[in-house]
Amino acid sequence: MRVVIAEDAAMMREGLVRLLTDRGFEVCAAVADAEALRSAVAADEPDVAVIDIRMPPTHTDEGLRAAIDIRRDHPGVGVLVFSQYVETRYATRLLADRPTGVGYLLKDRVADVADFVDALRRVASGGTALDPEVVGHLMRAGRDTTGLASLTPREREVLALMAEGRSNAGIAAALVITPGVVEKHVANIFAKLGLPVSDSDNRRVLAVLRHVSG
Amino acid sequence: MSAGDNGAMTALRAPFTASALRLVVFCVAGVVSAALVLATPALLPATGVLALKVAGALDTGPAPVVAPVFLVLLAITVVLLVVLAVPAARAMGVLQRRLAERLLDRPVPAPPPRRSWRAVGYCLLKVPLAIPQGYGAFCYVFGVVNLSYPVWWPLFRNHPPGTTLGPVRALTPFGMISTRTVAGAFLIAAAGLGMLLVAPWLMRAGAAMDVAAMRRLLTPGGLAERVRELQVTRAAAIDDAAAMMRRLERDLHDGAQIRLATLAMNLGMASEKLGSDGPPPDLAEARELVALAHRGAKEALADLRDLVRGIHPPVLDNGLGDALATLASGSAVPVTVTVELPGRPASAIETIAYFCAAELLTNAAKHSRAGRVDVGVRGTEERLTLTVEDDGAGGADPDGPGLSGLARRIAVVDGRIDVHSPAGGPTRVTIDLPTHA
Repeated sequence: MRVVIAEDAAMMREGLVRLLTDRGFEVCAAVADAEALRSAVAADEPDVAVIDIRMPPTHTDEGLRAAIDIRRDHPGVGVLVFSQYVETRYATRLLADRPTGVGYLLKDRVADVADFVDALRRVASGGTALDPEVVGHLMRAGRDTTGLASLTPREREVLALMAEGRSNAGIAAALVITPGVVEKHVANIFAKLGLPVSDSDNRRVLAVLRHVSG
Repeated sequence: MSAGDNGAMTALRAPFTASALRLVVFCVAGVVSAALVLATPALLPATGVLALKVAGALDTGPAPVVAPVFLVLLAITVVLLVVLAVPAARAMGVLQRRLAERLLDRPVPAPPPRRSWRAVGYCLLKVPLAIPQGYGAFCYVFGVVNLSYPVWWPLFRNHPPGTTLGPVRALTPFGMISTRTVAGAFLIAAAGLGMLLVAPWLMRAGAAMDVAAMRRLLTPGGLAERVRELQVTRAAAIDDAAAMMRRLERDLHDGAQIRLATLAMNLGMASEKLGSDGPPPDLAEARELVALAHRGAKEALADLRDLVRGIHPPVLDNGLGDALATLASGSAVPVTVTVELPGRPASAIETIAYFCAAELLTNAAKHSRAGRVDVGVRGTEERLTLTVEDDGAGGADPDGPGLSGLARRIAVVDGRIDVHSPAGGPTRVTIDLPTHA
């Protein structure tokens, strides 16, 4: 799997290169700003790009803007944006057109190497990876608080994991339950929130996100 | 050239400068304004008289109708004066301020936009002020005229011999003088030169008094000025605090936070290399990653230590003396520190003084190529004076970002900064602060 990394802090960049190479990824390019990122993506057409939001020259959101451009110009390239803090507005901007092949994670998540690599693979293959923090913000700030209140604590956990972009198998593994139980929870959640049932994971994420973020 | 020669030259040149001409314009405008002020109350009655005259009412002597007309006119005049005096006076004030700025290069801040009789006071004062101004302008104009007598004398005094001629007259401040001879013409010219030399000083005195009156009566009052000053310094304090928070966020984000994230990543990788149980699958790499994480942790600590010291150096709690001594010991340039204070100033003041000294020391080390810096803190119970003096190249710009930033911070507590830094050095910065904000 081929990756481009854009991160301005040298030691983090080197660490990521090491981590991903170690895990069998092919790192095509590791760059330090958005301009270099754009040209690297255009040249290499990687499976996925890992992008820091705050990069030179303005240190505001150039990474995010580059990510949105890449999603528009290179639909085949997955985009995993990561940052030291989560901003719900950024998440909604990133997910605006389609929640496929996209991720938004806190930088802290690289500490759990397996989870991080899992999220990156998911994004590379067209899935979604949203940070639990982002999902939590979205759910708290969302419109349908009464609908959410009608869920059991377990169902809320399952909903949050769905919003993060995990498959039934992933949810089952995270909660240490059987996939059959997960399916039952999912059916209950969709019934309680009045969401259209869908078989594809991506459509499911879209429905859930639309619902929680209003 | 001695100072005396210099002064004499300046005095001789004074009438022939562009500023003298501008002074003349200002003084003539002053006289016209004063005349306007004097004439204003008479404008309406004068119009009344004119109207009556045109109507023929005055042809046959004061008729019975005339007295009531004047009574009514008087009343209207008084009412109009009361209603219009302030706006008219303010308009006059605006004009005069503009004249002072354009012609004298002495800007006077605009008054607050509310009704105030102080502008009327200024207009009334304009009348006595016009006396030196008018006198000066008169001396200047007629000085030039008198000085020119010998030039045109031959043109008009070329009559055949024996012709009896009337005397030629000339105006001086001491009355009319007249002459029939060429020598007399030169005497008049000498008088003109004298008038010309005196004129700039008269006009300057008149203009200076005028500007003083403007500053007193046309500017915002003392309290209003103080409020404005406080608004400005409050805004500066808020900006400063916001900028400080931004800098702090940036430092944490780019420093300790990224180091800790990397550290967590390295430890995460190391723990994978160690495996969950049994013999570690890749011990050598795990060791390397742990060593990397260890180094990262130490760097993060150093980063945080610097950041904490930048927020508030803990040694400042022991007093300015200890804090400045610590600061001096870390400086690349040799620094001597002298602190003589009767007591401890407020901690906010100590903090400001400390950061000013830190900034000035950094400047001295970075820009001035100084070989030595003296930092002195002296004071009384009420005031504290910080002086930072180096033997460097000088040329520090008080309006540059560093020094103007200091000035803003100092102004918040009503302090003052004085930068003396001629090109070639040395640089001496004196900061005066109250001991309690």
